[in-house]
Amino acid sequence: MIKLENVTKVYKGDHVALRDATLDIGKGEFVFLVGASGSGKSTFIRLLNREEVPEHGAIYVAGKDIGTLGSWKVPYLRRNIGYIFQDFKLLPNKTVAENVAFALEVIGKPRHVIKKQVPAILELVGLSQKVSSFPSELSGGEQQRVSIARAFVNRPLILLADEPTGNLDPQTSVGIMRLLDRINRTGTTVVMATHDRGIVDTMRRRVIELDRGVIVRDQARGVYE
Amino acid sequence: MAISPVYALRETGQNLYRNFLLSMATVITIGVSLWLFGGFFLFNYAVDNATQRWEGGIEFVVWMNPEATAEQNANILDAITTSPEIQDYTFVDQDAAFEEFKDIFADTPELVEVVTPEVMPPSYRVVPVDPDADVVEELAGQFEGRPGVKTVVSANDTIRDIQDLADEVGTVFLVGSLILLAAATLLILTNIVSAIRNRGREIEIMKVVGATNWFIRIPFMLEGIMQALIGAVLAWGGLYVIDQRVIGRFSQPDSLELMAGFRVESDEFIFTGGLVLGIAVIVSVIGSAIAVTRYLDA
Repeated sequence: MIKLENVTKVYKGDHVALRDATLDIGKGEFVFLVGASGSGKSTFIRLLNREEVPEHGAIYVAGKDIGTLGSWKVPYLRRNIGYIFQDFKLLPNKTVAENVAFALEVIGKPRHVIKKQVPAILELVGLSQKVSSFPSELSGGEQQRVSIARAFVNRPLILLADEPTGNLDPQTSVGIMRLLDRINRTGTTVVMATHDRGIVDTMRRRVIELDRGVIVRDQARGVYE
Repeated sequence: MAISPVYALRETGQNLYRNFLLSMATVITIGVSLWLFGGFFLFNYAVDNATQRWEGGIEFVVWMNPEATAEQNANILDAITTSPEIQDYTFVDQDAAFEEFKDIFADTPELVEVVTPEVMPPSYRVVPVDPDADVVEELAGQFEGRPGVKTVVSANDTIRDIQDLADEVGTVFLVGSLILLAAATLLILTNIVSAIRNRGREIEIMKVVGATNWFIRIPFMLEGIMQALIGAVLAWGGLYVIDQRVIGRFSQPDSLELMAGFRVESDEFIFTGGLVLGIAVIVSVIGSAIAVTRYLDA
């Protein structure tokens, strides 16, 4: 599903964010990206979403080299990739249902499709009773569930999560991880950057560790260390 | 997938509402600049219509009596063609004079109805070799009072002054309106940049979930175009006032003889309105396009 071949990303000032990274992530895998702040986790995720382009190497998503995609094709790539933010990035003037519907509306989905898919995804994330609430009326965990619903409502092949539990307490984080695990079981590939040792050690999934832009460990059923 | 018109209009309306004060400033600036721009055209049309008979170097007109005999006409023609001081002339017969009259008073059909070609005075429009005012006056005087001549009218200094004044006023209108149009373009740009910044999070989400660039851009561009169109409607209202209350006043029966014909025809007014609308669209598309390509694209 995702393949990196000798990928190097260099920012201004010769800061190497990712160095000669090569790996494969299969369909339906759940992968944790771990490492200290500034190790390259967020850059890794931004490269997969084509928010960044590597200086060297190639990145393949679903068999396509996304580095050579024309800029007009990038939106169509992103429709196959859901994105979950640490700070949720919900629109404060829209209700829960409107926030989720927005993701479908802006890619031109017809109204009848939106009316069908939004309640279904809110049911999946456990927010059926909160459809008319505004983000300010929700807890942090509920806001992250809305964010997940928005990322998954279009049924993407890949879900990228950048520190999705970073702003949540441990108990709420467990609920969010259960939800991501449930989504992963539908066949969706999940790549999650995290600092949360407890979650990684509990879930025992594939762990890719980055240190100053270099992949120093790629371990199946790994722990945080 | 195409953008839904409902979505585009809703987003455009929300942008205008959120930036209400800046939108109002933009609309007013566009309206005033287009009003001045259109006013320049209306004023020029009116002056051209009023001084039409003096164009092409014509310095004086010998009006003949409609009842003048063929011999009297021949004598005047002979005097014009043999004079070494006259470079050129045009004879406007009764039918042509009637056509000209119908053109000038096209908006007053009741007046045209009571006039027939037989009552129209034919005329010789004369271009002297030397356009000096004193020479023209003396030359024109030679035809005054001759048999068959009704009157001789020369393009005196007042008419020249009016044409000069019209040129200067027109230039002020044009320069002022162009400066304001440039300001309006910058205001549209600023307005859209402000809207883009206010909606930074929405735009970020749109890009992440796969909205195309055009889907994101169109509501912002529509915002600029809507502002310009509202401004154009305001300008039309202002131009109508100029046409009816200012220019129209001069064409009243009791106004100065000198200003007879100072009017704007319907087709000229419609053309000016279309021009104002076209300029509004061009200005808004330029301002919006710069804003969305410079500040919106990743």
